[in-house]
Amino acid sequence: MISRFLLLLACFLIVLPTQAQEGTAPSLKSIVSQNAPDIIKGSVRTAPPIIDALVALDDPSSLRFLSLWQEKDLWYRKSDEEIFVAEKREDRTYELFDIATLELVETLPKKQIKQIKPNSGLRALIDEALVISRLKSADMSVRQEAISSLSRLANKQHLLPLRGAISAEPNQALKAEMERLERFLTIQFGASSEERVSAIHRASDDLSVETRANLNRVTSSTMALKDMLDDDANIARHVIPGEADFSVEDAYQLLIDNDLAEAIPTASERTQFLIENIGEGKVGRFTLHNLDTQKNRDAAYLSLVAEGKAPFWSPGLSADILVEQFEFVEVYDERDAQVTQAAEVALEKIETSVALSEFVDVLLDAISLASIYFLAAIGLAITFGVMRVINMAHGEFIMMGAYTGFAVQQFVTNYTLSIIIAIPLAFAVTFFAGVALERLVIRHLYHRPLETLLATFGISIALQQLAKNIFGTQARPLTAPEWLDGALVINDVISISLIRIAIFGLGVLFFVVLLFVLNKTRFGLETRAVTQNRQMAASMGINPNFINMLTFGLGSGIAGIAGVAIGLYAKVTSEMGGDYIVQSFMTVVVGGVGNIWGTLAGAVMIGFLQKGIEWFNPANTLAAQTYMIIFIIIFIQFRPRGIIALKGRAAGD
Amino acid sequence: MQGPLTQFLMKNPSVLIFLGLLSAFTIFAAIGSEAFGIGFISTSMIKTLGKTLCFCLIAIAMDLVWGYCGILSLGHFAFFGLGGYMIGMWLMYERTRLIVESSMANAALPPTPQEIQEAIGTQIFGVVGGAEIPAIWAFAHSLPIQLALVVLVPGLLALVFGWLAFRSRVTGVYLSILTQAMTLALALYLFQNDSGLRGNNGLSGLQNIPGLDHVPQSHISLYFLLASAFALGLGFVIAKLIVENKMGNVIKGIRDNEARVRFLGYHVETYKLFIFVLTAIMAAIAGAIYYPQAGIINPAEIAPIASIYLAVWVAIGGRGRIYGAVIGAALVSMLSSLFTGGQIPNIEVGPVNVVWVDWWLVLLGVSFVAVTLYAPKGIGGLIDMIKMERTK
Amino acid sequence: MNEALLEVRNISVSFDGFKAINALSFSIAEGELRAIIGPNGAGKTTFMDIVTGKTRPDAGEVIWGEKNVSLLKRQESQIARLGVGRKFQKPTVFEEQSVYENLLMALDNDRSPFSVLFYRHNESDDQRIAALAEEIGLQDHLEKRSGDLSHGQKQWLEIGMLLAQEPRLLLVDEPAAGMTQEERQKTVDLLRRAAQSRAVVVVEHDMDFVRKLDCRVTVLHEGSVLAEGSLEHVTENQDVIDVYLGR
Repeated sequence: MISRFLLLLACFLIVLPTQAQEGTAPSLKSIVSQNAPDIIKGSVRTAPPIIDALVALDDPSSLRFLSLWQEKDLWYRKSDEEIFVAEKREDRTYELFDIATLELVETLPKKQIKQIKPNSGLRALIDEALVISRLKSADMSVRQEAISSLSRLANKQHLLPLRGAISAEPNQALKAEMERLERFLTIQFGASSEERVSAIHRASDDLSVETRANLNRVTSSTMALKDMLDDDANIARHVIPGEADFSVEDAYQLLIDNDLAEAIPTASERTQFLIENIGEGKVGRFTLHNLDTQKNRDAAYLSLVAEGKAPFWSPGLSADILVEQFEFVEVYDERDAQVTQAAEVALEKIETSVALSEFVDVLLDAISLASIYFLAAIGLAITFGVMRVINMAHGEFIMMGAYTGFAVQQFVTNYTLSIIIAIPLAFAVTFFAGVALERLVIRHLYHRPLETLLATFGISIALQQLAKNIFGTQARPLTAPEWLDGALVINDVISISLIRIAIFGLGVLFFVVLLFVLNKTRFGLETRAVTQNRQMAASMGINPNFINMLTFGLGSGIAGIAGVAIGLYAKVTSEMGGDYIVQSFMTVVVGGVGNIWGTLAGAVMIGFLQKGIEWFNPANTLAAQTYMIIFIIIFIQFRPRGIIALKGRAAGD
Repeated sequence: MQGPLTQFLMKNPSVLIFLGLLSAFTIFAAIGSEAFGIGFISTSMIKTLGKTLCFCLIAIAMDLVWGYCGILSLGHFAFFGLGGYMIGMWLMYERTRLIVESSMANAALPPTPQEIQEAIGTQIFGVVGGAEIPAIWAFAHSLPIQLALVVLVPGLLALVFGWLAFRSRVTGVYLSILTQAMTLALALYLFQNDSGLRGNNGLSGLQNIPGLDHVPQSHISLYFLLASAFALGLGFVIAKLIVENKMGNVIKGIRDNEARVRFLGYHVETYKLFIFVLTAIMAAIAGAIYYPQAGIINPAEIAPIASIYLAVWVAIGGRGRIYGAVIGAALVSMLSSLFTGGQIPNIEVGPVNVVWVDWWLVLLGVSFVAVTLYAPKGIGGLIDMIKMERTK
Repeated sequence: MNEALLEVRNISVSFDGFKAINALSFSIAEGELRAIIGPNGAGKTTFMDIVTGKTRPDAGEVIWGEKNVSLLKRQESQIARLGVGRKFQKPTVFEEQSVYENLLMALDNDRSPFSVLFYRHNESDDQRIAALAEEIGLQDHLEKRSGDLSHGQKQWLEIGMLLAQEPRLLLVDEPAAGMTQEERQKTVDLLRRAAQSRAVVVVEHDMDFVRKLDCRVTVLHEGSVLAEGSLEHVTENQDVIDVYLGR
């Protein structure tokens, strides 16, 4: 089997040069010698047919010739303008080689030969042509590169060689890419309408930007006057000036371009005429100081018109009326109506799927934002929600966690390992910071919530500045390990970064663990007991001080872990806590104080709301946040106790 | 014949003492200024003093709403900023108009009103890529209307927000967070380029009063100092009139036991709303006098942290006493500008070189915690203790 | 039943499934003194919350006065202005303010912010405050900070504040809690005097105190009326003995 293949290959190799020598079919040498003057001159205008002919030969030596041409390695003998490949020798003479066989022909001094220097435009043309040759390279990376450069600059003559290359391509992924490229080229340059329409059909499942760009190229159109069109013009639709994105001005410009109307002088042009006609402090009979209203200026201009010193204009002259008398159409640049029709249908189909995918993408974004809010707020759900202690320094605990991660990465360079160390360390650091805060400050302020709020503000200010003093003001990176670096790509529109998935997972984990801890463990029971009735709990043998301390530590520690996660997703700065504190409180309050389910509901609502608003106005995240906060303020009017509210006496006041 | 005012002053000698001290301070500043006096107080110092007086005024507002009525608002700097924006619109518009008109006077043709409008629009909104004058600037040409808006816009915002918040009985820390959210929303909104108020560029050149180009800044700064002092004096008297009257009893009652006041038949929400709106207007007026002295206003000034500092001033000064708010605002804001201005020599503590510019906020934060824990009545509380010692 | 000052018909309210008030009906006539007794959780405080507008019932009606006004849709302050005064279980006076100021705030004057803002001291108000202080025995403490009063004095001050409101109905929640014998007697006298010109409802645990009040008694149990009548009558009621006195 293999031997037979080799034999075939051998025959092929032998046949090729024979063919070239016979001279009946065009050969490298014949083409080059026929076109030598043009090759030497190297004009962008005359070269393309030569290049096409050489590419069409599709044999290695002609491709080699092209690349030598492009790299300025071709020289010609001045005596007869025959072209050779030349190489400089040590004695400053040049060795000339045959362009087809690379055999040494003779050695000449520099004076008798001259280098062929194609200009950059021509070199680009040659490069483009060579792409095809590279498609057949044995080196896969060369083929890959050829495909990507083809997808940028492909034109008609690439279609056939590309088709040829597809069947030979061994790599499936590359082959798919080639087929896609072939589809695009067929859409643009296919020989028949049927061929092009079928390519368009095949492309209509592809959501990529390239597909859409290709189809858009097919449906590209210009505005035109109906009367000026050929009979076989491919009319897309009738358009009325002033509607959609076809303005009256555009329509009028079209009339001017077709010599159907004169340009109407604009206000500033008319002013210019007035200025040019100033004489002795007057324009016509109008004194200058009176020309400070548009009305007087118009009158002065009309007097100029009457004297024939300015182009015609009258106050009633408006483009609208003139434009109304003509019929405007949008015409496809592509003449084949079947093709444009198919492309429109395909585009519509693609746009529907894209819109659907974008919707899914926004949902995924919202989930991911919700999990970030959830992570930021879950610590608060414990300290504020369960203990009713308002800790304005919560955001700074998040920051401490993030900086802990950053500090760990200064010592542990393996990112995976550093994150594994950072998470428990961040928990420990913020746990003890929380315990210290509880012991030193909050303990003295139970049942004085406004004072707690203020004191923790003080802590927040101090911690923020402290972080600035230690770590500087610039943002510090917290680098994710490589396996978290990528994104999960579902299609060309939907992709979600792995870090966000990890944050989502972390949120779910926290949720489950905290539900378990608070509802199913002795510690959770004691926490709830202390929160609900301190004296009673104390009389039942629970140490309320100890429980408060631990609970506060737990809430703070969770903020620390959240800090590591948020640091991976955003930059670590001393002010990052402030970015989350208001939203975190909103999350807890909107969701309903006092239970973890409420925090989940709050985070989901705020996350979806913000992304939802952004969807309507994607350019403006600031506005989205503004509207979201206003919405929350109004929401709290109707459900002051949040989405999941504890009712009645248990809720307290 | 004893009028009610004389009666009031007799009962509250602190008002006279305060007004006396304020007048003395103002006269001292005027004598020391470069404008009329011997010039040992620089113009920039006069501005700092004037701005500090405005801070004292907003601190009085904060004390009324928080110290007396128990509403810890974290949004009063938003009203302060809005007041500044309202007056800033007139200052910027009119000055730009004068500049535009004088530069267009040399054009070949006298400019039409439309041309002037376009040139003003380009001048003011070029930085945010616009040329049209937004609709909210419709009255920017009129000083009386913008002055009215200084009161109306923040007052209306306070009215709507307060009505919503109080009627749904949001109280305590929830209300604080809600006011903070309001402030954040406003700041974020103003940060946008299409807010119509020049996005994060804010309004600038406010120290130049339209039509007063020939008056040197040393004089203008002194006029503003006088205006600030007058506003502060007036604010102090109004605050005292309120808190030393039955109104004061009711709002202190709301602070201490809202339900009891309600069951006495008072419509608590209306009272809260009254105080909230009144203090918002006081804050707005303070802002309207402050920003021409500061020269520039941008959305960062409105950020929630500013309102938190306001709470810090009042807490350190001692809430529930009007003079405490004044002392707190004056002391902390002056100390703050001393420390962050590098006027305090740095000290070396072992290996750490304490650069006050960097450590001032740490000091402030920690001392704030200390005040909350150990002197909840602030400096005013200390003064009370000294008074008690004397009377014993 | 038109002569009733307050009539509560069939109200029910539940918190998270717990029925605090269950189809309760109750009425009190103008100028009547009434005691309500009942074990913990019988719904006494919730009943007061409903009448004063703090809690909205799930069902039922609360009708007030000769014009038969429904109180259900009204706010606390409106109900207070209609003439319902309420004293809380714990003494709630404004501790930071003087006895005089406490009473001044409670005086039956216009409650609108502007009349309060422009309020000017006048002789007649001072006289009324002096008379009230005399009534509650605090005439010598008018300038005292009310936080510095004794527990009993605070209770009396609160009752004084209620009287200052000149309500037609007084709801008094456990006035005798924490009082000495002597203070109790004074309180009883105070309430009996108050009841001469208005209706008074007293919620109380202390049987001795209720006996001294010498009035009609309503017994609440599990959110509804168990028995009603003179103290002798209800204490002989077997149901009452079972649920309350018997334990």
